[in-house]
Amino acid sequence: MESSPILSVSDLAKTFSLGFLGAVPGFRRLPISVKGIAQRVEAVRGLSFAVEAGEIFGFLGPNGAGKTTTIKMLMGLIRPSAGLATLLGHPVEPGNRRQRERIGYLPEQPYFYEHLKPMEFLDFYGGLFPMTARERRERARALLDRVGLGHALDRPIRKFSKGMVQRIGIAQALINAPELVVLDEPMSGLDPLGRKEIRDLILELKQDGRTVFFSSHILQDVEQLCDRVAIVVKGRLRRIGPINELIEVGFQGVEILVGGLQGPAIEALGLPATPFGETHRFLVAERAAVDGFVRAALDAGGRLISVTPHRRSLEDIFVEEVRDA
Amino acid sequence: MRQILGIALNTFREAIRNRIFASIVAFAVGLLGLTLAISAASLHEEVRLMKDVGLFLVSTFAAFLCVFVGANLVYKDIERKTIYTILPKPIYRWQFLLGKYLGVAAMMAVQVAIMGSALASQFWLLEERFSFVMVQAIWLIYVEVLVVSAVALLFSSFSTPFLSGLLTLGLFAVGRFADRLAEVRLKADAGQDQGVLDVASALTRGLSWVAPDLSLYNVTPYVVYDTPLPAGFVAQATTSGVLYAALALGLASLLFSRRDFI
Repeated sequence: MESSPILSVSDLAKTFSLGFLGAVPGFRRLPISVKGIAQRVEAVRGLSFAVEAGEIFGFLGPNGAGKTTTIKMLMGLIRPSAGLATLLGHPVEPGNRRQRERIGYLPEQPYFYEHLKPMEFLDFYGGLFPMTARERRERARALLDRVGLGHALDRPIRKFSKGMVQRIGIAQALINAPELVVLDEPMSGLDPLGRKEIRDLILELKQDGRTVFFSSHILQDVEQLCDRVAIVVKGRLRRIGPINELIEVGFQGVEILVGGLQGPAIEALGLPATPFGETHRFLVAERAAVDGFVRAALDAGGRLISVTPHRRSLEDIFVEEVRDA
Repeated sequence: MRQILGIALNTFREAIRNRIFASIVAFAVGLLGLTLAISAASLHEEVRLMKDVGLFLVSTFAAFLCVFVGANLVYKDIERKTIYTILPKPIYRWQFLLGKYLGVAAMMAVQVAIMGSALASQFWLLEERFSFVMVQAIWLIYVEVLVVSAVALLFSSFSTPFLSGLLTLGLFAVGRFADRLAEVRLKADAGQDQGVLDVASALTRGLSWVAPDLSLYNVTPYVVYDTPLPAGFVAQATTSGVLYAALALGLASLLFSRRDFI
């Protein structure tokens, strides 16, 4: 029996009616769009994809692509205009306890009750789940240590740095030990060290058997972390697939650096060479031709320095999709 | 229930730790102290004046504080996006609103109790009895606060703090004179159009029907003349207030349940 995806959206769409007349029900149906008066904005247009249990799924897109709107529809904060979103095999239903008890969520640029200290803060969020006071206390303490805030127990959140707020935000998303963790721009505003800590935490979540769905602008992090990614632009899905496959499509040849070769030997190799001091750079277009080229270079008295496959980075693919949209 | 109490406790804690709240209560208690001086200046009317001015101050401060807190309540959570982390948890939107309301109700209970105690201490200084009808009057002020808080929460569930504060204060003003406005029948002078005045009279009477009848919660004349309230009055006024508050909260929940948090 095939198991259902842990998260899925099918033909999901959201159109916002803005302007002072936008809120009038009748106006929404009229084919009029006047900026500032009654304007329709299609934030998400027929989006479909699925996330399987246990994977780290990256949700990519430029600003205004509809990532946060999609996540808010999944979290029940925004009602879709059309389509279906499911979590843990059931349609999204705000307030549904069985569904919500198994999900953790960190919004983009979170802001929390500043008057609370970390233990009070996590106790408050834990109190929304069926946990005893003792369970909440133990879990809160363990999570604070895990996100590196064990030293700040007596400090109210108003005195936290941006990175600390982000970390306690992740702790609140994990207070119920969720099966699915949804993180909206979790690395936003963090320094390189903070980003590394969050990356490590996300990998630990995967090792624990949890599913992580996160949106990000930081492609380097996505490339390092994700099993699969989806790229959305202007509310539409442009690409989806395993990171390796997406990058493989962008194979651009293999760069080979060889030292110690002289003029006739270089010509005999049959490929254009770019000199770098005593070293020469060759670009082999076909993967299958690499072994033969290396053997020929060595036979000609060359010294092999490096063999580097050249691929388009995720950034190249991302930029290309945004440009083509 | 656990979720509602959690939200209520957090709302209460947030309000109590807010320095503005403490300052307002301290200011109100200080002002109550002034009534002692004013009363002392009046010849043989100290106690009556103290009851009159004291109750006025307690009810006015309580009403303004709950309008201020109530109007900001939900808006602040939306504006600061704290609501984004709460609503995806296993909690229905109506439970969130009810929790917020109960938190404000608890905070206002503390505020009214502090001001009531300050007033009682003045009676003690004048060696005057703090009568039962005085206790009833303070209870009714609290019921009025419950009604006004629910109205503020209703408006704050769909509008900005400024607009919801303004609308709540408007409804508060109409409610204070609801009994008189219900009888309004404007008469035209010579040369004036009676039809227009009839429409205005009908609208005024209609407004008095929509607004809560807050005149029920002002029993100062009974206190000043130390006359017992009619039997069952407090229970009736309390029931009426609780029902109105429940209606306002129900409507707020309905509006809130359909709202998108962009």
